[in-house]
Amino acid sequence: MIPLAFLMPGQRGRIVTLDVGRGKARRLMEMGLLPGEFVEVLSNSVGPVVIRVRGMMLAIGRNVASRIWVEVT
Amino acid sequence: MAREILVAIAGSPNVGKSTLFNRITGGDVHVANWPGVTLTRTEGYIEHHNVKIRLVDLPGTYSFSAQDIGELIAREFLVREKPDVLVVVVDATSLEKSLYLAIMAMELYERVILAVNMIDAASKRGLRIDFQGLKSRLGVPVVPISALKGIGVGVLLDRILEVAEGKTVRRESLKIDYDGLEPYIYEIARHLRIKGALKDYPSRWAAIRLLEGDDKIFEELKKVDHDLADYVRSVRERAEVELGEDPEKIAISSRYMFIDELVKSYVARVRLATPGLSERLDKVMLHPIFGPIAATFVILATFFLIFAVNTGFPLNMILEHLGYGELAGLVEEYSLSGVLGLMFDWFSTIVEGWMNSLGYNGWLTSLITEGLIGSLGTLISFVPLLLMAYIFLGAMQDSGLFPRAAVAYDNLFRRFGLSGRAFFPAALGMGCSVAAVVSTRGIDDDRERMVTAMTSPLIPCQARLLVLLTIASAAFANPLHQSILTISIYVLSFILYLLTSKLLNKYLFKVEHAPDLLMELPPYHRPSLRVIWWYARSNTEHFLRRAGLLILGLGIATWYLLNFGPSGFLSDGNIAGSYAAMLGRLLVPITGLIGLPDWRYTLAFEVGFVAKEGLLITFSSIAGVPDPIEALRSIGITPVKAISLALAMNYYVPCLATVAALFTELRIGKYVIITILMELGLALITASLVYRSALFLGFM
Repeated sequence: MIPLAFLMPGQRGRIVTLDVGRGKARRLMEMGLLPGEFVEVLSNSVGPVVIRVRGMMLAIGRNVASRIWVEVT
Repeated sequence: MAREILVAIAGSPNVGKSTLFNRITGGDVHVANWPGVTLTRTEGYIEHHNVKIRLVDLPGTYSFSAQDIGELIAREFLVREKPDVLVVVVDATSLEKSLYLAIMAMELYERVILAVNMIDAASKRGLRIDFQGLKSRLGVPVVPISALKGIGVGVLLDRILEVAEGKTVRRESLKIDYDGLEPYIYEIARHLRIKGALKDYPSRWAAIRLLEGDDKIFEELKKVDHDLADYVRSVRERAEVELGEDPEKIAISSRYMFIDELVKSYVARVRLATPGLSERLDKVMLHPIFGPIAATFVILATFFLIFAVNTGFPLNMILEHLGYGELAGLVEEYSLSGVLGLMFDWFSTIVEGWMNSLGYNGWLTSLITEGLIGSLGTLISFVPLLLMAYIFLGAMQDSGLFPRAAVAYDNLFRRFGLSGRAFFPAALGMGCSVAAVVSTRGIDDDRERMVTAMTSPLIPCQARLLVLLTIASAAFANPLHQSILTISIYVLSFILYLLTSKLLNKYLFKVEHAPDLLMELPPYHRPSLRVIWWYARSNTEHFLRRAGLLILGLGIATWYLLNFGPSGFLSDGNIAGSYAAMLGRLLVPITGLIGLPDWRYTLAFEVGFVAKEGLLITFSSIAGVPDPIEALRSIGITPVKAISLALAMNYYVPCLATVAALFTELRIGKYVIITILMELGLALITASLVYRSALFLGFM
């Protein structure tokens, strides 16, 4: 299990847990970032991490992306 | 008399909600703000089959959780205003995501219509949607539309009338299976019904929200029934222990599972979509190095287009530098604001001649030609500039470029408590602060928008660049020194912009960190000219309506101070005897702090409030020399005074039009006053530091 922010562009993972505050977790889950959901990292360098989840592209701040734990698939 | 019904339109960002709104209303809309916040509220009226329909565009949100101000406004509107019909717009090409808000809406409200937008794009991508199936499963009218092409809008209006009349309405809200939460939902809902609490909401819905930990509803319950609130809390805690999972997570997953089931049953993918332009463009835009470069290029091009057309800047400066002085003059003269300025000069000359021929040649002529027509000219000269700023903001947002540029800049702005979205106001600020302030509408975080609006006027605009260059040329003979002064002021201004943003975040809004970016990057698409034009026009109108009176009023007040004195109207243009000059003399001790203890400077600052170029005009008229560089030399400018004047001129106050823009955008007088005081403080601090150090080092 590694943070989403550690995934390389092109890698896919499955969300295990969201280690963020309650409000933030709700927001992420409502945007489709639910535990069990598959995500694909599209770009990941210095700024926000860009992922694809539920067919939608999302930019997530690096801070939050470091607290989303995924299993690499 | 035709009946009137109230229709609200909800939808997540990027589903084409505004396009639909524009399509239905035909662009005849009223733009305002939601009470107490800077979020835009758009309303429009239309008539369909003799029924008057009042349409309200709810803020674009991903849910109705009342987690942020937009969600709260949307939810409160439904619960309090009880619209006759709620239209929820979803994106046919990404139902698996955009249905979330629709599901929540249907759980909360009965009179819902689902408008499935972008059906043309969906069929192009090989998606086939069973609308009849969706309709019978959800129990609400489902209307396939393409807001962009105007497909299905007539049908949608017919359905709206049917639902408003009570036909084709489901009797109760949508019920979805919340799995393990069901017994707890039942328990809480039963208690709510028995006690008659939270009657504004469906009891099942309120029970689910309470289990999910919706603070807003919990507080509401606590106010009416403290014991019941305690009981609900205990049920929630019990559910969490017994289920071994956060009820919130179960609720959200249940909704998404319901959506997955819907999509599986009613959406067929008949062929795979081929990777398109979007993917290839994103290879560049999201690249760690090329991304920021491409974003900067886009911004510069935008900037160049907006300002070169409107004012000739920076094209005129470039041409001048290359030695094409005549061409530069032409560019400036035939820019939009140049032409408008000429028109107003011409108009005021005609009025003046006409009034003189009627025998009026006193203060009344001056009031009308200088005060009224002059201020009107100032106001009108902003119209094309604002229109274009809005057009580009709209185009950048509509095309999907804006969020990508925001991603590219996020890393830099984050250090100062802003997100990458602050790039656009900062860039426009170099042209015009009014444009910068109004373009903060592109930022969707209310607090970040306020901070950016308050700090972006610190960035020197084109007018201030002109004054700055004049001051530099008057005081320094060496072009190198002139450039150093100019560039230093720019660098300092950007540092102050970022620094004050950080401080305002920390001390005024009490936020330690930048909002964490969580932003959708919609697929690129060609912006709809129709929607952008409508967006630009209605927002410019909104600005004129709100700021117009303020600009006219303050403009005329300044005219009075400059043209009247204890001896009455100063027909000979004897500015030294005016009230403004008297006030200037009173203010001399203040400018004394920055080494400019001279009423001529204070008077110039007063005039400069209307527009910063006013400083130069004042120096010229006081000295009686048309060339402002000569005028500044004749009142004894020195290098130290020049630096102090340049700093003070830049920051002492945002110009009149910017103050008016701040009023229209911030809506809270306190924040406008804080902005003005902050700028005044920065002017005094920076300029007096320069002056004091110069004294200390023996330069004076």
